[in-house]
Amino acid sequence: MHVSYGRQLVRSGFGRTGLAIFGLLAVVALVCPFLVRDPHLQTVQVLEAPSAAHLLGTNDVGQDLLARLLCGARTSVLVALCAGAASTFIAAVVGVSAGLIGGLYEKVVMRLVDALLVIPAILVLILVAAYVEPTMWGLILLISALQWQGGARIVRAQTLSLKERAHVSAAKTFGAGGLHVACRHVLPDLAPILVVSFVHRARRAVFMAAGLAFIGIADPTMVSWGTMIRHALDFYYLPAWKWWLLPPGICLSLLILSFLFMGHSLEKAMDPRLRDA
Amino acid sequence: MKSRLLNYGIAFLVILCLNFLLPRLMPGDPLQAIYGDEALLQMTAETKAEITARFGLDQPVWKQFGNYLWRLAQGDLGYSFYHKAAVSEVIAAHLPWTLLLVGSGLVLATLAGIALGIESGWRRGSALDRGLLTFLMSASGFPSFFLGILLLLLFGVTLGWLPLQGARTAYGGLSGLPLVVDVLEHLVLPAGTLLLAFLPGMYLLTRNSTVTVRGEPYILTARAKGLPDWKVRYHHGARTAMLPVVTATGLLFASRMITGALFVEIVFSYPGMGSLIHNSLIARDYPVLQGTLFVTTVLVLATNFGVDLLYRSLDPRVKDAR
Repeated sequence: MHVSYGRQLVRSGFGRTGLAIFGLLAVVALVCPFLVRDPHLQTVQVLEAPSAAHLLGTNDVGQDLLARLLCGARTSVLVALCAGAASTFIAAVVGVSAGLIGGLYEKVVMRLVDALLVIPAILVLILVAAYVEPTMWGLILLISALQWQGGARIVRAQTLSLKERAHVSAAKTFGAGGLHVACRHVLPDLAPILVVSFVHRARRAVFMAAGLAFIGIADPTMVSWGTMIRHALDFYYLPAWKWWLLPPGICLSLLILSFLFMGHSLEKAMDPRLRDA
Repeated sequence: MKSRLLNYGIAFLVILCLNFLLPRLMPGDPLQAIYGDEALLQMTAETKAEITARFGLDQPVWKQFGNYLWRLAQGDLGYSFYHKAAVSEVIAAHLPWTLLLVGSGLVLATLAGIALGIESGWRRGSALDRGLLTFLMSASGFPSFFLGILLLLLFGVTLGWLPLQGARTAYGGLSGLPLVVDVLEHLVLPAGTLLLAFLPGMYLLTRNSTVTVRGEPYILTARAKGLPDWKVRYHHGARTAMLPVVTATGLLFASRMITGALFVEIVFSYPGMGSLIHNSLIARDYPVLQGTLFVTTVLVLATNFGVDLLYRSLDPRVKDAR
């Protein structure tokens, strides 16, 4: 690997923009409890326009919209990171084990992966979530369980090619076990693929969680941009959409965009045909 | 081919099991899970007994599953206490609108995506290419429902050019040409949203494909023959560049657009499957929710399968490889 993907990410305009936006939203998510008042606090000042007391005004039950906007970042960033990491982890375990073990195990597992790949994840998510009504952590688990297949396929293909490399056969001659080969010799070389997979899954997870909240399946105790958009849409005939509906929509789009940009620039770094001359 | 068929078979089976097991695995009365709290209140003891007997809820699970499959095979998706009608009838009333929306969105996004992709990829690195790439990449970060909301606010609320919701004017009593115009007017914003949401994917695919084709030797040959630029671009370049666009990857947009349309419909209260899902969630009308999701999932599976078949007949290399 002679291409430093990290450097490619920082060097390309798309990559830099993506990193900057994501960094900003992640910092907001970390420090939001110290910046604003309680996002759940209901007051009698309902549907107020922006003022010094409420920079983005208030909603129909008198909650401060700025507080809800900033704390919504926390939910989205957390869903992105956790669901992205969990589904990449499942993909890595399934893909590497299928590639290294082979035989009947590989056949059965890959058949299952291929079958699950054609199922539209968002529809199954709506169905299951409507019945189970998951909390945020349940939602993260559910999303991860529904979107690891694509990654597993790519990881397995790469593992099959890595398996034939000289250093892996050398390790095997020295008596290395399967687990040692997987962790020491295969996983490190898979890192770039896993990172790209993580970025894509994180983006899809944010989108799915927000979409689910938008159609009305969300933990009511959770402050999220999807829920904000859903409630604000009921009042679109009021001028309130300018400070109630647009900010969470723009923040959500920015977060998804940041993952999209990072993924695009990483993929470009890996595909020499698309790399700039 | 057999192996692809098996994939869809397994996927279908997983969906069936999920639909069958979910309500029955929920804690509490299965009737409550199948119909929801509200419907349960409307039922008399006799209705409950009749439904329990009809579903065989007192029988072993494998018998219930057989029963479920048998009724499904006959097109019986259950009964909605909210709509006071069979679920299949409710869905039949909503499905055409979704098909109209997805169909028009798909045609628009494909045509625009291919045209822009070829022009942009051919002049890679030019101002046009950079501008389009940045603009469309940014557009693709917007979730479809937020794009819809933006269009709604701009053209519906602020400018007032287009109707805000629905698929036609309620109680308009229109027929003939005015009805067609009315339906089209209501279609513009939702279909426009789908166009914007799916144009970037189609565009990027065509652009990347055009970029790779542009360096091929036969393009140089065509140029050397002295052919005009547009002829080289469309007759020689585009034809090969189109391959991934019309085949598997490209047509998969069809199935993705079906799920995308569900969200867009909710924004515009467009009376298709998406609004049906939304309303049945609010009304806790579980039979309709389950039936709608089932039909939509089968629709997506069928589309994907059709794409797979088409892929094979369009690209002979795939057939030979087997």
